[in-house]
Amino acid sequence: MSWLGPVAAAAGRVAVRLLPAARRDWAEAVWAEAHDVPAGWPRLAWRTGGVLLIAKEGQMARRIGILLLGAVAAGAAAWGAWPGSAGSLSHGAADQGDVIITLALLACLPLLTRWLLGPPDSRAARRLRACFYAAILAIMPAKAAAEMFVGAVPRGGIDRHTFDLVTQGNPLPGSISGGPDWGGEILILFITACYLAVILALTARRTPVAPATLAVGARAGLVLGLVMYAVDPLGVDQIATNPWLHGSATDPLVALAWVLLFGAPMAAGALAGSRGYVPRHPGQAPTVRAWPGFAAGLVSNGVGALTVTALGISTTALMLKSAWMRGWLYHGQHLTASAVYGRELYASGNVAFYAVICVGFPIIGLIMGLAGAGYASVTGPQPGSGDPGGPPGPGEPEPAPDPPPGGRLTDTGARTALRAG
Amino acid sequence: MGARTEFSPQTMWVLAALCEQPSGWQHGYALARQTGLKSGTLYPILIRLADRGLVEACWQEEPVPGRPRRHLYRLTADGFARATAALAEAELARSEVRPGTSPRRGRRGTAPAVS
Repeated sequence: MSWLGPVAAAAGRVAVRLLPAARRDWAEAVWAEAHDVPAGWPRLAWRTGGVLLIAKEGQMARRIGILLLGAVAAGAAAWGAWPGSAGSLSHGAADQGDVIITLALLACLPLLTRWLLGPPDSRAARRLRACFYAAILAIMPAKAAAEMFVGAVPRGGIDRHTFDLVTQGNPLPGSISGGPDWGGEILILFITACYLAVILALTARRTPVAPATLAVGARAGLVLGLVMYAVDPLGVDQIATNPWLHGSATDPLVALAWVLLFGAPMAAGALAGSRGYVPRHPGQAPTVRAWPGFAAGLVSNGVGALTVTALGISTTALMLKSAWMRGWLYHGQHLTASAVYGRELYASGNVAFYAVICVGFPIIGLIMGLAGAGYASVTGPQPGSGDPGGPPGPGEPEPAPDPPPGGRLTDTGARTALRAG
Repeated sequence: MGARTEFSPQTMWVLAALCEQPSGWQHGYALARQTGLKSGTLYPILIRLADRGLVEACWQEEPVPGRPRRHLYRLTADGFARATAALAEAELARSEVRPGTSPRRGRRGTAPAVS
């Protein structure tokens, strides 16, 4: 059993790395003191206390809970998206690849970002990441259900007639006749990877984006996404769009959606630019304001695009499977079975258009966020005016306390000889 | 009814142990022996006290050959004032509840005299 002590000590030193940097000294202290504890059970009990300390201070229960929750959600999404029906056989390989690569991205990109840029260090950052993960996991099975529906070509009858009418003789991508849409799948995976990489980078510790900027952008984006979803719950199509609005381009809600598409990132950029700006020297204003504006605009329309995409594709998938959803969407309308099939086909075919939204919205957000930051730099307080244009920052750090006689303070790192005992 | 202070009984034991040598540095194992607390209880208490600025910690710079450096603790000025006040309050409450009986600290030992 003599090997047990060194092994436990080595395991302890590794386990200490699980703690936040500010807590590692304390766990190392437990391990250091174990040297003086009598060997055998007392020392084992002492080290067990150290393990409990690491578990408690490292919030291991919370971390394990989040990991399990994520694994269960990912498993459920993969199970829902995995091709298994006859209708999806033609593009089964594409769907399988979609599921596997999406899950690999979700698992690997955070590790890569953590290594390069550090972990998220604010509640806003963690929440934003969780929402992006939830949206991507929700989209995966919903998109598969819509593609499966499009791919299931009716054998005959009026449904086949409707199918031919909707597709106008052109085989739909993903259908038995059209074959797997590899290009589309690769594009969607690329967009997913970009979204994940950008949000992980913006929420990492070493990226200079304030939590307030993330919060402003996320709130603006949520409003944009919800209004867009209210306008187009079944994709952007004159037939499939919100039946309550009758596809009217002059409906106030449609006008509001257009205003928000350009106004939300601009407002978020202006707000973030004015809040996150602390003048240090003349001439610094434009660049200093530009970064929060850029980040807020990107987050705003990224969140908006992901919100409308997740809600829209999920609504389409539910519509295909739930009579209740069809009744909610087309309440008061008496539709024949063939008409219902036609609308389902339109909605399922529109799913691909969300890729355009996911590409276009963030580009608009970037431009408008920068414009908002530029507006804030023109109208906001100028360098040297004495007003930082936002809430007071943390200011200068307080001077470190004097080190103890002959020692160094744990947190300051001051090194002075200590002659103990 | 026990004395109500801002500290838990275990924290009071740690504060009492630290109060015995207010200006001296003590290591964790010594505090554990004085208080009877296990490492899994003692160190979280020390962490909370340090977070509140009542305890300061440092690493022994010149370790004894053959053993790792020790992490050392002592009360700050504010910590000493708060600890003495809390211990005195607890002592007073115990004597009021049970006049004529000795203060009961269980197996952890008795509280040090607070001047």
